[in-house]
Amino acid sequence: MYKSSHYPAYDVWEQHQEWDEHTRKIVGKRRMAQVEHRFFQQEEARLLYTLAGVLTNEIGDHVLTYITQHIDNSTDSPIGESQRKVGVPEKKTLYRMGLQGLDELAQQKHQQRFVEIKRPQQEDLLRLVEQGQAPMTPAWQQVPQKDFFKKLLHDVVAAYYSHPAVWSEIGYGGPAYPRGYVRVEKGLVDPWEAKRDGTS
Amino acid sequence: MEHHDFVTHNSDHYEGYRSRALDQRKYKDGADVCIVGAGAAGGVLAYELAKAGLDVVVIEAGPFWNPQTDFASDEISMHSLAWQATRLVDGKNPLKMGHNNSGRGVGGGSVHWTGVCLRFHEDDFMIKTVDGVGEDWPIRYEDLAPYYDKIERDIAVSGPKHYPWGAFNGPYPYPVREPISANSQLFREACEKLGIKTEVAPLAILSAPFDGRPPCINRGFCNEGCLPNAKYSGLIHHIPKAIQAGAEILSDCMVTQILTDGNKVTSVVFNHDGQNYEQKARVFILAGFVVEIPRLLLNSATPQFPNGLANSSGWVGKAIMPHSSHDVYGLLQEEVRLYKGTPVLALTQDFYQSDQSRGFARGYTLHAHGSRPMHMATALATQRADGTMLWGRQLRETMLDYNNYARITLVGEVLPNPDNDVTLAQEKDEYGLPLAKVSFSYGENDLKLIDHAVQSMKDIITAMGGTPEHVIQDTAHLMGGCRMGSDPTTSVVDGYGRTHDIPNLYITGASIFVTSSGSNPTNTVMALAARTADHIVDSLKQNNL
Ligand SMILES: Cc1cc2nc3c(=O)[nH]c(=O)nc-3n(C[C@H](O)[C@H](O)[C@H](O)COP(=O)(O)OP(=O)(O)OC[C@H]3O[C@@H](n4cnc5c(N)ncnc54)[C@H](O)[C@@H]3O)c2cc1C
Ligand code: SF4
Repeated sequence: MYKSSHYPAYDVWEQHQEWDEHTRKIVGKRRMAQVEHRFFQQEEARLLYTLAGVLTNEIGDHVLTYITQHIDNSTDSPIGESQRKVGVPEKKTLYRMGLQGLDELAQQKHQQRFVEIKRPQQEDLLRLVEQGQAPMTPAWQQVPQKDFFKKLLHDVVAAYYSHPAVWSEIGYGGPAYPRGYVRVEKGLVDPWEAKRDGTS
Repeated sequence: MEHHDFVTHNSDHYEGYRSRALDQRKYKDGADVCIVGAGAAGGVLAYELAKAGLDVVVIEAGPFWNPQTDFASDEISMHSLAWQATRLVDGKNPLKMGHNNSGRGVGGGSVHWTGVCLRFHEDDFMIKTVDGVGEDWPIRYEDLAPYYDKIERDIAVSGPKHYPWGAFNGPYPYPVREPISANSQLFREACEKLGIKTEVAPLAILSAPFDGRPPCINRGFCNEGCLPNAKYSGLIHHIPKAIQAGAEILSDCMVTQILTDGNKVTSVVFNHDGQNYEQKARVFILAGFVVEIPRLLLNSATPQFPNGLANSSGWVGKAIMPHSSHDVYGLLQEEVRLYKGTPVLALTQDFYQSDQSRGFARGYTLHAHGSRPMHMATALATQRADGTMLWGRQLRETMLDYNNYARITLVGEVLPNPDNDVTLAQEKDEYGLPLAKVSFSYGENDLKLIDHAVQSMKDIITAMGGTPEHVIQDTAHLMGGCRMGSDPTTSVVDGYGRTHDIPNLYITGASIFVTSSGSNPTNTVMALAARTADHIVDSLKQNNL
């Protein structure tokens, strides 16, 4: 059976009037992400959107659009990548060739594009790439499979758990400036935090 | 209402306060002291030296933050506080850089640090003598003790009345934090069942008002920059005070080269908005942290110093050390809510002393450690110690129990090894300078220590009534790379941070550490800097520089 949220009635965004203006602006933008990719081509963005859905087990369009948009921004950005392993190509190449590699894999196994195959098959293919066991095709000669998978997974998950809808699902109290958290000890919650019994 | 917050109020470096034209700068024709890097160590030196009446200029690569408008209660966007420029990483255990260990901007790493403010123990300065491993420092605990006292007083460290480990047993200048978070309570109760001593962590976070700043409001976002200014950072404490004492801070200015004449440094070259400038001074202090200082020294090679400046020993860039910093996440019946409260509010140093019977040298500290969703989810996805990755339904369902997880984090001593180093790569950055390549592999002793600590953390989780579910491999902090020593053939600087090769060039900060200890490093970083400040003031008085 699928597990579901312990806090179905909780919506952290309802608290946004209590947040400082800068935080409110940053988080609010995520709720209204628009598709306007600069780095990825249309087809690449569609593939990325699909991958975000598989990796987070999410179907919500606005959340997946936000993840796609976030990764497009950070891939396009001239800001560095903090660290890159020796032997791994820079992020632009890693993404571009990695996405191509997934399509090559789907073509080889199913004679279709990755976005066209069924979810369980998509998961199987991703598992191959995760293990570095996808058959060699031109793209994988340029980018190591495992490194691509790890970077993709990291970036998708980082963006996903930055979305207020997902904060609500897991019962995360979120931003707390200027009011702070008052009841921090065991068993205590501030009146506005998520409650298991659904009151909020 | 107009905001006159603490920082802008004390700074002459905001728009409207500072001339944008760098040729109008205060010490254009030369300063007494030029400090490269406005981080934890740079801030202390800037203030102490300016207070002593010296003309001080600080050159900082990153921005001059205004917490009120630049910080947010948000994980992903506040990675802007990190040094995000690419470093190549290599070795068996390539390091996670950026937000994990490197700050950029006025305040450096102290802007997004966790504020745990510990002293090293006496043994930490002499591990070769005591345990036959690593290297001894050229100084001893007693040399730093007065400076630890000073720093803790100056920044109003809060902590327990009695601290049971090491040479300093309290009391701390400011009252202990109260209340503590659920995660810290659970940690303390579980340890007590197991006979492990714990204490509330000494923190550079206010427990009561101090110097115009309010106490902590437990919002939990220390690693995203403190909005209320309750947590110490150089940005809100030492740097504004240094400015008031006459120092000038040149932010958004990246030092790219050190120029020498004979065996003296004459100036540094820095880049602002694509334009190069030169800053002259009598004394230069490099405070740019573990990676950038070696990179700068190596990139400043001349025919006279072909292997890089201050590198006759060949030790520039060598023996860098992180702390091993595995986490154990444990699933509990009850809610813990790791997001609430200052992240670290309890710790134990019962495992700190070397103990031969454990089969490895040296020891570690354990922290009860909060966590926010992005940090936790990316760790479960990509950093599990068993190498498996969580994604899809498995990750989503695991994270549904976010509020029922407790977390403990290791700060473990990593022994120095010259093969763990910072070198120059082929690839160039936007200034045309070779990127840093950072190599790191754990040694056998380090790995045994980690195994032991992971077991201790699992035991504590179990004693909470929880199940240890996820072991995360991670590192924290960086130290070394320009270590101090009395022998100029095996070290870069002397016990005061003065380079052996160039009399008017100093290095300060975490990079001059000889060993890592099992304690968070920054109290020691700041104490060393304060000691160097005294030494420079004395030397300048005696005309020794
Ligand atoms: C997430 C996190 C949590 C931490 N938590 C703790 C903790 O709880 N307790 C603890 O003790 N320590 C903690 N630390 C460690 C602490 O931040 C560092 O030990 C400390 O900041 C090091 O001080 P430093 O002065 O050597 O370098 P930094 O503070 O890093 O300062 C270096 C400065 O130099 C600047 N710079 C570098 N190169 C140049 C250049 N070429 N030109 C101009 N400027 C340059 C950088 O931009 C930076 O501002 C934490 C660190 C991080 C990242
Ligand atoms: S927990 Fe306290 S010290 Fe940390 S960021 Fe929040 S208010 Fe500042």
